Amino acid sequence: MQPSPLANPLATVAQLEESGSRLDGIPADLENSIRFAGARLTQAAGILLRLPQEVIAQAIVVFMRFWVGPEGGSLAEFGARQVSAASMYLTTKLSAYPKSPRSIVNVYTYLDSLPSTYTEPESLQDTSKADAYYVSEGTYQARRMELFETEQRVLKTLGFQVQVVLPYTLCITYLQALDAFSHPRATELAKRAFAHLNTALLSPQLLYLTHQPPSLATAAIYLAAKEVGIKLPAVEWWEVFDTDREELGFLVVGMLSVENFVEEERARWQKNKVPMTVEELEAAMQTSSNGTE
Amino acid sequence: MASRWADTEADAAEALRKKKEKEEKKRLKLRKQQAEEAAAQAALEAEARPSKRRRLSSGDDEAAEAAPSKEKEAERNLLRFEAGGWAPCRHTSNFETLNHIEEGSYGWVSRARELSTGEVVALKKVKMDLKQDGFPTTALREIALLQRARHPNIVSLHEVLSGSSPDEVVLVMEFVEHDLKTLQEDMPEPFLASEVKTLLKQLVGAVSFLHSNAILHRDLKTSNILLSNRGHLKIADFGMARYIPPPNAPLTQLVVTLWYRAPELLLGAEDYGAEIDMWSFGCIFGELLSKSPILQGKNEVDELSLIFALCGLPSEKSWPGFYRLPNARSLKIPRDTGARAAGQIRAKFPFLTNAGAELLSSLLSLNPEHRPTAEEVVNHSYFKEAPKPKPMEMFPTFPSKAGQEKRRRRASPNAPKRGDGHGVQNVDFSSIFASRDDEETGGGFQLKMV
Ligand SMILES: Nc1ncnc2c1ncn2[C@@H]1O[C@H](COP(=O)(O)OP(=O)(O)OP(=O)(O)O)[C@@H](O)[C@H]1O
Ligand SMILES: [Mg+2]
Repeated sequence: MQPSPLANPLATVAQLEESGSRLDGIPADLENSIRFAGARLTQAAGILLRLPQEVIAQAIVVFMRFWVGPEGGSLAEFGARQVSAASMYLTTKLSAYPKSPRSIVNVYTYLDSLPSTYTEPESLQDTSKADAYYVSEGTYQARRMELFETEQRVLKTLGFQVQVVLPYTLCITYLQALDAFSHPRATELAKRAFAHLNTALLSPQLLYLTHQPPSLATAAIYLAAKEVGIKLPAVEWWEVFDTDREELGFLVVGMLSVENFVEEERARWQKNKVPMTVEELEAAMQTSSNGTE
Repeated sequence: MASRWADTEADAAEALRKKKEKEEKKRLKLRKQQAEEAAAQAALEAEARPSKRRRLSSGDDEAAEAAPSKEKEAERNLLRFEAGGWAPCRHTSNFETLNHIEEGSYGWVSRARELSTGEVVALKKVKMDLKQDGFPTTALREIALLQRARHPNIVSLHEVLSGSSPDEVVLVMEFVEHDLKTLQEDMPEPFLASEVKTLLKQLVGAVSFLHSNAILHRDLKTSNILLSNRGHLKIADFGMARYIPPPNAPLTQLVVTLWYRAPELLLGAEDYGAEIDMWSFGCIFGELLSKSPILQGKNEVDELSLIFALCGLPSEKSWPGFYRLPNARSLKIPRDTGARAAGQIRAKFPFLTNAGAELLSSLLSLNPEHRPTAEEVVNHSYFKEAPKPKPMEMFPTFPSKAGQEKRRRRASPNAPKRGDGHGVQNVDFSSIFASRDDEETGGGFQLKMV
C-alpha cells in the first residue's frame, strides 16, 4: 500500500484498546491525566522555546503516539516529562527550527520548577528567560543523556514514524473553498477553527491518532461556523472534504468534550502536581493505594 | 540487437545466475507460503487471548482486557483512510546479509535477505555519533523524507530496524541492481542517445515530484541514482535532502558533491533553491552522454574555473546578482569577456541535437534563474524528438556488481560533511572561501582566467 503524502499513520484498533501503561497496572484514568498533562507540558515548552504552533503540534502528536498499544511506551518505565522533551527535541530536528539539548533541558527544568501543573497560563507568558534557566552542570549532563536515550526509544517504539501531517493549512484551503473569507466575520471563524484544532491535540480520545487531517479540519470548521453564527452551504459540504456525517459527528462531540475534560482535570489536581516522572508516579500510586486500604 | 554490454562469457554466467536465482525463488516462495500460514495461525491464536507485551513487563498481565470485538473493528475500519500505522522497529536478526555493496561516507550498504519471506533488500546502516546531538539529524531527515517521497522513481524505504546495540539502526530499502556511476565505469561505451533519454525522463520526473513537494535533494549525482535490470531508475541517498525552509532561514552551503555543485553554492549563496538540483541534473545529463563526470574540479576554485571554461564567464548582464555573492568579490574575472563569455557546451557535445544542446546549456546556466524547472524539463521538446526514449523493457541488462561481491571504494569526492577530519587537511583558501571546513585539496591559488 502506498501511503498518501497527505495522510498520517493512524493507531490500529488493537493499539487503542490497550496500552503499555495499563499492562503495567497503571489505572486508565491516571494514564489519561498524565498523558493530558504531558501534552500540555509540550505545548508550554514549545511556547517558551518560541516555536511555531505547527512544530509544537507535531511534537504533541509524536508524544501521544508513543503511549498507545501494548507495545507502546509505559509510564512505569518512562516519565511523561522525558518523553515530552524527547518528542520536542526530535521534532525540532526535522523542522526549520532545531533546538539545542541545552535549550530543551533548560526549558523543561524551568517548567518543572513551577509549583503546580495547572498554573495560570499568564504566568507562562512573562518568562522570556526560561531557555536560559539555570541548571547545574551535573543535572544538565544527566538530563542530556536521558534526552538522547529517550529520543532513541521514542524513534524505535514508533518504528521511526515521526512525520505528522497537520490540518491547519487544509483548514484555510477548505475555508477558501467554502468562500468563507468573503464573510465580515471570517477572521473570527478561522480563529475559532484553529482553536478547535489546537484543543483537539489534547483530546483524551486521541483524535489526531484516529482521524486524518481532512476530517479534523472539516469538523473544526463545522464547529466554528456554528459558534460564530456563519451559515455554511445547506448541502452536505463535508463530503467534499472526504468526511462522512458519522465521522463529522464523532469529531464534533470529541472536540467539544475536551473542554469538560480540562475542567475535570483542573478540579482533580487543583494545586497539586501531576506525576511527570517514573518516581513521582510510583509515589502517587503508593499514596493512593494506602489511601483506599 | 545483441547486447553491447557483455561478452558471451559474461552472458553465459548471467544466464546461469538467473537460472539459480529462479530455483532459489521457487524454494523461497514455498518457504514464504509456509511462513505466512504459520503467521496467520499465530494471529488467530493471538486474537483469542489478551495481548501481551513484547518486553518483560513487571506487572501482571491478567488485568489485560479482552480482545477487541470483531464488530467494533469492522465499524471503525469504515472510517479509515488508506494510510499505514506504526509498530516498534523489528530486530536486524530478521535479515541475513548476503554481501556488502558499498561503504559510503555516512553508512554502509549491503544486500540482504529477509528470512521469513526470502525477499532480497538493501540494508543501509546509519553511522551514529550519539554523544553529540543524539540521533543524527541527517539520518532522521533521510528517513522522514523517504517515508514521504513515495514515487516510482525514488527508492522505497520499507522499514527501519534496530540491532542489539542501541546505536545500531538500519534502513531497509528495495534492492536495486546498479548505480549509474559504477555501471558506467564498467560499460565499454556510453549509453545510446535513446537510452540517455529514458534515464533522464525518469530522473526528471522524480526531481519534479520532489520539488513540487518542497523537497530539495541536494546531492544528485550518478552514484546516488540506481538503475534496475529492467531499466527502471530510482533516486537514492536522501542524506543531504531537506524541505525547502521558510524564506530567510539561512541554509548551509555545504551541500552537493563538488563535481555536481552549482556555481551559486560555490560562490557562497545562502538562499539557494531547487535550481541547485537542476544544475546537478545538467551535470548528470552531460555525464551520461560522455560516460564520465564533466566537471571534475580538484577543489572549489578549480571547480569554478572548469565551470566558467565550459559554460562561459559570468557578466553583469547574464547574471546581475553575481557580484553580490559573498565569494564573488574576491575573484578576478576579466570583464571584457567577448567570445569567451559564450561557453563551449555546443562544441563539447557535437552529437547532441539542437534541442538537446539547448536543454543542456539552459540547465548549466550560471545564473540560477535561467535554469529550467524540473517541470519545464519534463515537457521539453528534447524528449519528443527522435530518437525516442528507448522503452524500458528494451533496456540492455548488465551483470550487477551490487548483486555479487564487494565493490571497490570509489575515487570520486563524497558529499560534503561538516567537520569530518579525514583526508587532506585544510589548505589556505581563507581569502576566497573562508567558511569551508574540509574537502579542499589544491593549493591556495587564485582564480585567474586571463
Ligand atoms: N537500495 C539500494 N539497492 C542497491 N544498492 C544501493 C541501494 N542504496 C544504495 N546502494 C548502493 O550503495 C551506495 C551508497 O549508498 P548511499 O549513497 O545511499 O549511501 P551514502 O553513505 O550516503 O553514500 P555516499 O556518502 O558515498 O554518497 C550507492 O552508490 C549504491 O551503489
Ligand atoms: Mg551516496
